[in-house]
Formats: sequence, structure tokens, C-alpha cells
Amino acid sequence: MRRILALILAAAALTFAAAQDPLKVAFIYVGPVGDYGFSYAHDLGRQATQEHFGDQIETIFVEDVPEPEVEPFIDQLVADGADVILGTSFGFGDGILAAAQRYPDVIFGWGTGYLRSPNVFTYMADFYQVYYLNGLIAAALSESGSLGYVGAFPIAEVKRHINAFTLGAREINPDAEVNVRWLYNWYDPAGATEATEALLAAGSDVIAFTEDTPTVIQVAAQRESPGFSHYASMVEFAPGYVVSGQLVNWETIYIDFIQGVLDGTYTNSNLEDVDYFWLLEEEAVELGAEPGVPVAEAYIDDLEAVVIDHPEFGEINAYDLVMRRLAQMTESRENFDPFLGPLVDRNGKEVYADGYLPTIGDLVSMEFAVPGVVGPWDNEPQ
Amino acid sequence: MTWKWEPRGEPTAALVWGVSLGAVAFAMILTGILFAFFGVAPIPAFVTIVERTILDARGLSEVVRRSIPLMLAGVGLTLAFRARFWNIGAEGQLLIGAVAAAGVALFSGLPATLLLPTMFIAGFLAGAAWGLGPALLKVRLGVNEIITTLMLNYVAIYIVRWLINGPWKGRSMAGFAYSDMFDPAAFIPTLGATRLHWPTLLLAILAALLVTWLLARTRFGFEVRMMGESPEAARYAGVDFFRTTLILVLVSAGAAGLAGVGEVAGIHRRLVDPGSLSIGYGYTAIIVALLARRNPLAALVTALFLGWVAASGDVMQVALRLPSQITGVTQGLVLLSVIGAEPLLRYKLVRVRKTQPPTAGEVA
Amino acid sequence: MELDLVVTTLARALAFSTPLLWAALGEIVVERAGVVNLGVEGMMILGALAGFVVAQTTGDPWLGLLAAMAAGGLTAALHAFFSVLLRANQYVSGLALTIFGLGLSGLIGRSWVGRPLTNPMEFVDVPILQSIPVLGPALFQGQYALSWLGLLAAIALWFVLHHTRLGLTIRTVGENPAAADAAGVRVLTVRIWTVIFGGVMAGVAGGFLSLAYRPSWGQGMTNGLGWIALALAIFALWDPLRAIFAALLFGTFFTLSFSLQAYFAPQLLTMMPYLFTILALTVIALRKGAGAFGAPEALGEPYSRGER
Repeated sequence: MRRILALILAAAALTFAAAQDPLKVAFIYVGPVGDYGFSYAHDLGRQATQEHFGDQIETIFVEDVPEPEVEPFIDQLVADGADVILGTSFGFGDGILAAAQRYPDVIFGWGTGYLRSPNVFTYMADFYQVYYLNGLIAAALSESGSLGYVGAFPIAEVKRHINAFTLGAREINPDAEVNVRWLYNWYDPAGATEATEALLAAGSDVIAFTEDTPTVIQVAAQRESPGFSHYASMVEFAPGYVVSGQLVNWETIYIDFIQGVLDGTYTNSNLEDVDYFWLLEEEAVELGAEPGVPVAEAYIDDLEAVVIDHPEFGEINAYDLVMRRLAQMTESRENFDPFLGPLVDRNGKEVYADGYLPTIGDLVSMEFAVPGVVGPWDNEPQ
Repeated sequence: MTWKWEPRGEPTAALVWGVSLGAVAFAMILTGILFAFFGVAPIPAFVTIVERTILDARGLSEVVRRSIPLMLAGVGLTLAFRARFWNIGAEGQLLIGAVAAAGVALFSGLPATLLLPTMFIAGFLAGAAWGLGPALLKVRLGVNEIITTLMLNYVAIYIVRWLINGPWKGRSMAGFAYSDMFDPAAFIPTLGATRLHWPTLLLAILAALLVTWLLARTRFGFEVRMMGESPEAARYAGVDFFRTTLILVLVSAGAAGLAGVGEVAGIHRRLVDPGSLSIGYGYTAIIVALLARRNPLAALVTALFLGWVAASGDVMQVALRLPSQITGVTQGLVLLSVIGAEPLLRYKLVRVRKTQPPTAGEVA
Repeated sequence: MELDLVVTTLARALAFSTPLLWAALGEIVVERAGVVNLGVEGMMILGALAGFVVAQTTGDPWLGLLAAMAAGGLTAALHAFFSVLLRANQYVSGLALTIFGLGLSGLIGRSWVGRPLTNPMEFVDVPILQSIPVLGPALFQGQYALSWLGLLAAIALWFVLHHTRLGLTIRTVGENPAAADAAGVRVLTVRIWTVIFGGVMAGVAGGFLSLAYRPSWGQGMTNGLGWIALALAIFALWDPLRAIFAALLFGTFFTLSFSLQAYFAPQLLTMMPYLFTILALTVIALRKGAGAFGAPEALGEPYSRGER
């Protein structure tokens, strides 16, 4: 009798312990959380996710992980009891896929990735719609009609964003041009400085960028040119000169996925087709330099002063157009998409036929440049 | 009465080990204090580190894997440094070795059996060629090799960047700056499911044995040592500086080239960004060679040691939840205390009775 | 249009090369005294952090600059202690300093990221000089004071090294420490102070980055500039005046890699200064023989009396 009681107690203790054992979710960042860019945004997402689930999960992170060195970190995290491991960078792909085979019980996520397996899902919160809206704003504010864009690498993601930015600009000003400079680097404050200076010297007067520091808008502000912030709220870095920007809410994806894991919807054997490519509609991304502020107060008058004759909306000012497009895309991608056909590339070749809505697959493999993009463009289809 | 540093002869092995271990222990005490400062109990922390990096098979494989490029490049540097050829360019030689191997893997179309051997040969030759310029400039024109080898590191970095962003950019990489993946025949085999590309490890050990033999048993080795210890005497003895320097640089830089082949074909399996291809291995190899007191066999040990220090950094971050930046701090502490202790091997502190009045300039 | 390109290129080259010049000038003096310090990157980044922290707390960027100088000097003192006093290997000591500095600055700087410097150094226009055609607008408008101070420092250092007793002492210590010793020079003292001076100059370079050029703090924000400065010191053949031109050349190629991106692969343009360095050395050696370099004879050799 005593022994049975002891067994029951032990079993109860075990179940209790199991019920209390939180799901361990590990995040692997490519930069320091203090980069104020990509890794910083992911870490805000991690914190929000932790807050959302409370005791149900335990999150940990490792930062500054060199891409090819991700495997030993995964080993350490698994040894540490991680149940879900989320690698945020494209370059982690090889390591994640190899480790996923070795640790079939662990669930992996590959941010910005494109290959999946039973225990690896992919996810992305994409900015192309937001860059389109930024393009509308930029063209309305530009006096010269020449906009600048500092890009990190000529990869499909950045090309897609520059294209969207350019298409937006041309909806306001059909002659607008977007001058592009590449850093060939994700983190390069000195390079970003000189690239921005080169753009300003070449006559561009409104600047957008993809890079991991607030350098570009800081430099633009110094030369009194407005700019758009990227990932984090960078208003403090260029007070008065940040018009709008791109904000991300990685937690929308993280919470959705982890809820699925807790519910048992997502397991280590059914992730083959789980690919998040979340946009405005899912609120994974947001227009603005600060949450809840799509366009900085100070620039609204300037935008309202620009009135165009729009084929769809008739006479409309730039601010209203931005808001109209934002509302359309927030409702659904079906309502309006910057890349809706017909679309030609800058060499005049048709890329999407009339009425064609590009698929996610089309978007993530975009190599062409739209008309209005000026500057070198690696891997451009001839 | 005063204290004075006096040079001592060649230190005994026991002294070398004693001082080195003492220095490491000292660094560990400092690291322990740092741990305590961040609220981590030092002793259990070190136990965890040892458990995860040495007692764990996979952890151990990663320590060894990291030390492979350090061994190859480091062994090569011991030879160069013996002759006082200050090759700071192992980083560039490694990168160019990787480029050559990648070129063979991507474009040669060789049959599978010939592919890997050709890649190793190409990597060795390319690395050697990268060292050749500085060697020629030094012996023929007296141009300082520290400068030229350092400059060529940057040239190599930009060549790799240019290749992966331009002519060699992969078609299948979604625009990311990598070359295409090699054919599986060009992968260096690894030990089981680890990343330990053992053929390269074997090469490193062979290289250490070869260099040891060269130095100890051949006329070439004798000349190298003479050039390093007493250039005047070497010249007097009729050492052919031109020929000897050329050979030693070819071997030294070629070994670094081999390290590049190991990284590109054993780990990455395509040409990647120079910062990913080598996490400063060429520079760390300088430390490897000098900590080994320019002894090629000892370089294997110091390479393992530095590989272990780097691997410990991962554990600190994951298991001990320490900030990532602490890795650099502890690595710096280890290096500084090891070199800080080194003079004990070369000098002894003796008490001297002053027999003459002190002169101006009396220091230490 | 072409003139515009020349002017902006020159202007940007000057701004970009300012930290390179300051750090390289420091290293030139250090190497003139026979010591190599590969820890420039480490000293620079600690300078950048210290400068930022002090400027942010006090609101005065010039106090920040003082802190940056102090931090650089203190870090260099470590190198002096190990490599000069303990006669440890200079290369390892310098490399260790770089690793240590990058780690320590990242660690301490964790709580300082993500905030811009509220009171950064401003652009200054020089009266009169700014009206010189072409050069005026490029060099004397929209530049930071530290950029011209760098040029002045180069001239001053050249004068000190080549035309004063102190300079002679420093050079002798680097050329022939035994002779200097025999002549009553305190070799180690000279070396220690020059190493510290080099650290102070690297501190200025780091401070320029976090207080003026990129008024903020970011982990690893020196991003390899310290290594370029090292290369520059040698490219200038240890001559402060040549360092000005060398720095501007590096700066020119760097900014051109952005403004001419449509015409040249940027990686190949940024590679040029390094190739030029080797080429220049070769040409000089061919024409004048190896002695022409003025490389300090005892560079990298620890000194202790009674050896050699």
C-alpha cells in the first residue's frame, strides 16, 4: 500500500513537472541585439512572444553568430534542452537543414529561408508593400524627382523592395527615378555614410535604405534630406527628417507558430509545407517610423499639398493616396498589389501579363529591375 | 642591490610546460572573476565548459574541426618565423587557396576521383604563389614582408568578394553572394555526422611532421635555422638566401592554402564571403605559431588550445547565458597572460650587487 | 559635372580618411620607435566607446574626445607593458589587444546602443580658405574640425620627427636602440611613451567616429578601419607628410567605389590602394635600393641591454 502510494505520488510529481516544464524556444541572431536593425527587431519579437505566453514558454537567444558557425551553436542549444530553434538569417540555412536531420525531435525555423523539411519551417515578414507606400511619399516630397536607395546586397529581397519603392514613386511622379548604390555588406557604417553622400551629391533628395544601422538617415538628415527608417524606430537618430519607414512585428509570426506547437498542430513531422510570408494583412509589417504613426505629423501638410490626377481615384492628394493604398493592401493583397500585371522591366521586356498577380514564389525570386531604377543591378535578366 | 632580468639559455621542457600551464591557470582565474561578476558561479561554469567541449563527442569534434585551419596555417608559419620571415599573410594565402580549390571544383569538370586531389594541389600552389611575391620582393629588393603580406590579405579579400558578387556568383542562390554549391565529389569527407573533415586534419599532422623533419634533419632546415638565428653567420657560411627563402615561403604559404581548401571543401562546399570562409584563422595562426615557440609539433597543440578557447565561447553564451562579447574578452585575457608569462622562459630575474655607479638609461 | 565629381570626391575622401590619418600617424610614431602595435582596431574601438559615453553623459563632445584619447592611451599602455617592459612578442600582444578591445567595448557598450549622440561635433566652415576655387568648398566647407586638425597634426609630427631632438631620439631608438642606449637615451622609456602616444592618436580616430562621423555607438563600429590605418602607416613609409596623401588616396578610392559603382566593380576599386602600396614599394626599391624605405631597422625587435 505504501509503495503504491509512493508510486502514485511520484507519477503525480512527474506529470506535474511535465505540465510545468515550459516549451524552450531558442533564437539565433546573426548580429548583436544592439544592432538596432535586423537582430534588434527579432529580439523585440522574442520579448513580445515571451510576454504573450508567459510561463508556457521559456525563450533564450544567442547573438552575433557567424553564419557558418551556426551548427555548433545549435548543438549547444539542443544540449541545453531547446524544443524549438529559430534561426533568423538566410545564411543559417545550411546549418539548420543539416542539424534538423541530426536532431529530428527538435523543431527548427529558418527566417528568410526557402527550403523546408518535416521539422523545418520557413518564415518571412516582408516589406515590399511598405516600400511601395514609402515610394509614394518619397516622390511627393522630392523636388528633383531623383530618389536615393542604399541597398545592402543585390539579392531578390532587396531588389523586390527597390522595385516596389520605385513603382510607388512613379505612381505619384511618372518621371521619378531611384538612384541605387550597393554596399555589398549588411553592416558597414562607413560604407553607408559614403554611399549616402554619393547619392546626395548626385542629386537625390529623399533617401531610403536596407542596411543594419541608422547611418543612412543620420547622414541624410545632416544634409537636410528626409529619409525612411528601416526595421527599428529611428526617429531619434534624425529628428525632423524621418518621414516614415518600415516596421516589423516578428511576434505575429512567432506567436502564431508557437501557439501551433503548443496546440499540437505543428509537430516535428509536418512542417514540410509551413511557410509564413506575412504582409500588411497579417499585421506582420507596418508603415511608419513609429508604431501607430504611418506618416510623421510634420510632413502631412506637404503631402496633402501634392495633388495628382489618378486614373483610379481621380483628383487625390498624396497623403490620401498613401492611406487609400495602405487600407487596400491591409485588407488583402488581392485588392491591390504593386506588382500586379501588366509590368515591364527597365529593358522594356514584359515580365507579368495584364492582370497577373505574382505569386509568393515570383516575389522571392525577383531579379529584374522596373523602369525608373537607375544604377548597377547584378544578375539582371537580359 | 637591485633586480635585473638576465637572459637564460634554451628553457627546459618542464619549464615551458610549467609556465604555459601557469599562464592558462592565471587566465582562467581572471575569467572566473569575470564570470562571478556576471553572476555565474565560476567552478560549475568551467565544469560545464569542459563537459560540453571535451567530454562530449560532438563538442570535441567541433574543437578539433576549428583547429584544423589553425594547425595547417600555424605549422607553415613556424617554418617562416624560424627564418625570421614575418609572414602576416596566412589569411590571404588561405583565402586564395580556397579560391583555387573552388575554381577547380566549379569549372574543371574533372572526374570525381581526381577532383579532390587536384583541389588540394591547386590550393597549395595558389597559396604558395600568393607568398611568392613577398618572398621575391624581400630577397631581391629588400621590401619588408610584413607590409606586402598584410597588403595581399586585403587583395585576397576583395578578390573573393568580387568573385562571389560577380563572375562566380551562384545561379541557384537567390541572388545571395555565394558561388554555386560544389558537386558532392568535391566535398571533403567528414567523420560520421560531424563536421570534422579528417583528411585535412591528417594533412595538418603530416605537415607538422614534415616540417619537423625538414628543420631537424636536412641541410635546408639547418640553413633556415641559421638564417633566423644569425643571418651574418649564415651569409658567411654561404647559405643561399634566395633559394632557401623561396622554398620556405612556398611551404609556409602553401600550407595556409591547404587550410583554405579544407575550409571551402570541408565546411562551406561553395565559395562564400571571406569573413565566413575564414574567421581570422590566418591571424590566429600567427598566435598559434608564436605560442608554440615556432615548433611545428607544438603548433598542433596550441592550435587545439585556441580552437578550444573559441569553442568555449559558444558554451558561455548558450549554457551560461553570458553575453556574446565576453568571448572576445576572455580570449584576449588568455592571450595576454600567455604572452605575459613568456618572458619567464627567456629571462630570469636575478639579484645583482652594483659594482659601478648607475648610468643614465638604467631601466628595469 | 566632372568638376563636381572631383570636388565631392575630394571632400568625402577627406572626411572618410580622417580616422585613418589620425590612427596611422600614431602608428607611424610607434613604429619609428621600433615597436609594432597591431592593436590599432582595439584601441580605436575603446576610444570610440569612451568618447561616446562621456559625450553623452556630459553633453560635451570635446570632453568625449578627451575620454577617447585617454581610453586609447590606457589600452596602448597594456601593449607597452607586455611588449616593451616584458619583451613579449609584439605581434601577439597587438592581436590580443584587438580581440580584447573589440570584446570589452561590445560588453561595456551593450547598454549604450540604439541611441544617437545628442550633442555631436558639428561641421565647421573656415573663413577665407573656403573661397579658394575647387579646393575651398571641398576641404573647408562642411567638414569637421578634426579633419583639418589631422592634417595639421601630420605636419607637426613630420616637423617633430625630422627637425627636433625629440624626433631624432625616437628615430634612433627605432633604428639602433643599442647606440641610443649608449648615448644615454632611456630606450624603454621612449618606447613606452611613444606606444602610449600611438594609443592616444588611435583614441582620437575612434572618437571621431562616434562623436562626429557616425555620432552614435554601435558594436564593432570601427569595422576594420584600424587595420586599414595600419596598412596606411606602412604605405606612407613611416612619413607623416606622405600619410596625408596616402590617407586621401585610400579615401578617394573608397568614395569612388560608390560614386562610380555603375562603371567599376566596387570590390576592385577598393582593392586598388593595397595593390598600389605593393607597386609603389617595388618601384622605389628598383630605383633606389632597399635602403630607400626608411623602415626602422629595429622594427618589431624587443630591446634589452646586453643582448644583440
